[in-house]
Amino acid sequence: MFQPESMSRLLIVASKQQLEPVITELYRMNIFHIDDYVEKGDGEWEGFRIGMPLAGADVTSAALVKIRSIASAFGISKDTISDTERSSIKELKRRIEQDLPAIAEEVEKLLSHKTKLESTAKEYEQRIEALRPFTDAPVSMELLQGYDTISFIAGNVKGQVSLSVPCEIWEKQSKSGSFVIIAVKNSDVSTAERELLDFQIQKIQIPVENGSASQVIGEYEQKIEELKKEIAGLEGQMENIRGRHEFFLMSSEEFLSGNVEQAEAPLRFATSEHAFSVTGWVPTSKVTKVFENLDKVCAGKVYVSELEVEDYNEMPPVEYHNPDFAHPTQLFMDLYSRPRYSEVDPTLLMAILYPIMFGLILGDVGYGIILLIMSLGLRSFVKGSDAGNQLVTVLRNCSISSIIFGVAFSEVFGFSLPWHPIWLSRHINMGGAATEAAAEAATHGMEASVEHVSHIPQLLVLSIWIGILHITLGRIWGARNAAKMDHGHHRTLKIYSNIGWILVMWGILVLIWSNFGIPMMPDFSGLPVIVAGMNPAMIAGAVMLILGLVFIARENVLDLMEVPTIISHVLSYTRLIAVGLSSVAIAMVTNFIAIDMIISPQLKLLSPIGIILVIAGIVVFLFGHALNTALGILGGGLHPLRLHYVEFFTKFYRGGGKKYTPFGMIRKLTEQTD
Amino acid sequence: MAAEIMTVEVAQASAAGLKAVGAGLAVGLAGIGSGLGEMGIGAAAMGAVAENKDMFGLALLFTVLPETIVIFGLVVALLLMFQ
Repeated sequence: MFQPESMSRLLIVASKQQLEPVITELYRMNIFHIDDYVEKGDGEWEGFRIGMPLAGADVTSAALVKIRSIASAFGISKDTISDTERSSIKELKRRIEQDLPAIAEEVEKLLSHKTKLESTAKEYEQRIEALRPFTDAPVSMELLQGYDTISFIAGNVKGQVSLSVPCEIWEKQSKSGSFVIIAVKNSDVSTAERELLDFQIQKIQIPVENGSASQVIGEYEQKIEELKKEIAGLEGQMENIRGRHEFFLMSSEEFLSGNVEQAEAPLRFATSEHAFSVTGWVPTSKVTKVFENLDKVCAGKVYVSELEVEDYNEMPPVEYHNPDFAHPTQLFMDLYSRPRYSEVDPTLLMAILYPIMFGLILGDVGYGIILLIMSLGLRSFVKGSDAGNQLVTVLRNCSISSIIFGVAFSEVFGFSLPWHPIWLSRHINMGGAATEAAAEAATHGMEASVEHVSHIPQLLVLSIWIGILHITLGRIWGARNAAKMDHGHHRTLKIYSNIGWILVMWGILVLIWSNFGIPMMPDFSGLPVIVAGMNPAMIAGAVMLILGLVFIARENVLDLMEVPTIISHVLSYTRLIAVGLSSVAIAMVTNFIAIDMIISPQLKLLSPIGIILVIAGIVVFLFGHALNTALGILGGGLHPLRLHYVEFFTKFYRGGGKKYTPFGMIRKLTEQTD
Repeated sequence: MAAEIMTVEVAQASAAGLKAVGAGLAVGLAGIGSGLGEMGIGAAAMGAVAENKDMFGLALLFTVLPETIVIFGLVVALLLMFQ
């Protein structure tokens, strides 16, 4: 708990005859994180070089490339295939040898044919575009070129064209100017072109075609239509192939990529002439399994030993070690940075606190149920994506917390539920109705009923308490990380500085408490004064503050500049209530506009126009709440995340751990054999 | 002249009105401040996300950092209105 999985470093040495069985077994176990062997630098062992790939790697790679290119042409991927059945390796091997070349050839032929047809269709489309300006011209296209003495110029111009040289002009007006075709003598072409520049001519190439433009366009369009039919036919054939071979393609992709990875594994090993050696990491709980299994497959001809580790801070890869319900939150940890091996892993705490903070912000039964339905509905969309699944699970947890807080706050879409809020209420007094009720109650000598009293100052203090405790825990973990990860004098200073930060924060708090009475916080202002107008709490607070400042300054004097952040960070937690209240306010305003202002008055006196207005009111209601739901997800999701990342993690978290990526794969489509 | 019109009720009403004005100013000005802060970050974040989609999470986070300012404004406004 609060610690990554414990790792052990293993060394495996054997003769080269054992290379293949060792690799296959390691790959099958899928728990060994290989440390790549580097020839140059500290890690080099004398006489050892990086190994060569196993025999057959190139052939396998070639087949794999073929399969992947087919898969990408078909747009299929492993995630889109149902993994209910698995193909046997034997059958796969046979089909890869026998069927794959034929399939590849067929697909290639179809694909190249399709590309050819598509490019022809594209060319026809371009010709149609070139012909389009000439559709209204009163001549056939072949009449516009091929003369010995006359040339034609076509283009878009601005204004009325008149040239000084003898010419004939055909003109067609359009919105932005006019399209002209001009016939001039060959000798006058350059003069005409120069003069046409004054009319801002954009020349258009006259296409070489036979017949009138619209007629030619019609012909081309027919050809394109035919091509499209042909392409559709090809696509049908490809779809057919895809349907028949989809599963085979993807399962052989999985099988072959596993093979290639195994064949290339020696590139990460150290090898001498007759032996090889590899180091790597295995979860400590599985070390004996590696010993036993390797011993079995090599019939005892392998040396495996656990190595001493010099620096636990940097070296081991990090695998999370959390209870199941906290797994989705690892997404947020990886988004920030994976923890280092020997530091505190705050995932578990975040998995608990994040939904609670979300619920505090969006505590509304209605929105909670919408989000719950959304998270259940989205599950099928994110199938196959780990991050998507994690996110949806987090959303589900948050929506459940939102419903629980909604019940406690007695809120549903900004209305109140038929019971009073439990403990603290955040019902806002819209239009001062509650204040009036309270005043009326006071004149009768009674207390206002609970439903009319909102506890906003108390809620703000509650959120500040969450901040104080959260940050104090962060500092305690900061001291713990320093104790575990740093060395020598620096370590002592760091531990003391973390204690110093805690002292300063609590010192300030005690000083505040000894001067002012704040709801839901201790009140020391009534204590008797002992010296110089100060009561014991004030003195204690001042001592804590000064001692804390000294501890901080001993580590780094410049850190004293950061002391005001204590206040801003703690106050930052008030966002939990402030953002939540703003969403309550938006919900209530939506209800007020939609129901009190639009729907209710119309329902009293129903008229035909009234019905339209009522529908408009319903639209306003739905739109307002849809907007508020979106804002609620953003506000409720981002602000707790930010409180963790900015206010909490900066106190202790270092991050930058290596991800644990074991050598092997989780097979989805093929049988685990050999 | 003014002293004659100023009754207790008027004084109370104007005190409540000034509170509301103050609350509005607190949120409004803090919002402008947040907006100015987010302007630069948001533009840079967009650029980063366009270059590399994986940056989205971090970019979003950085973009909402200055939100704290407007939340302080909101808290002050809430205290003004409901204390």
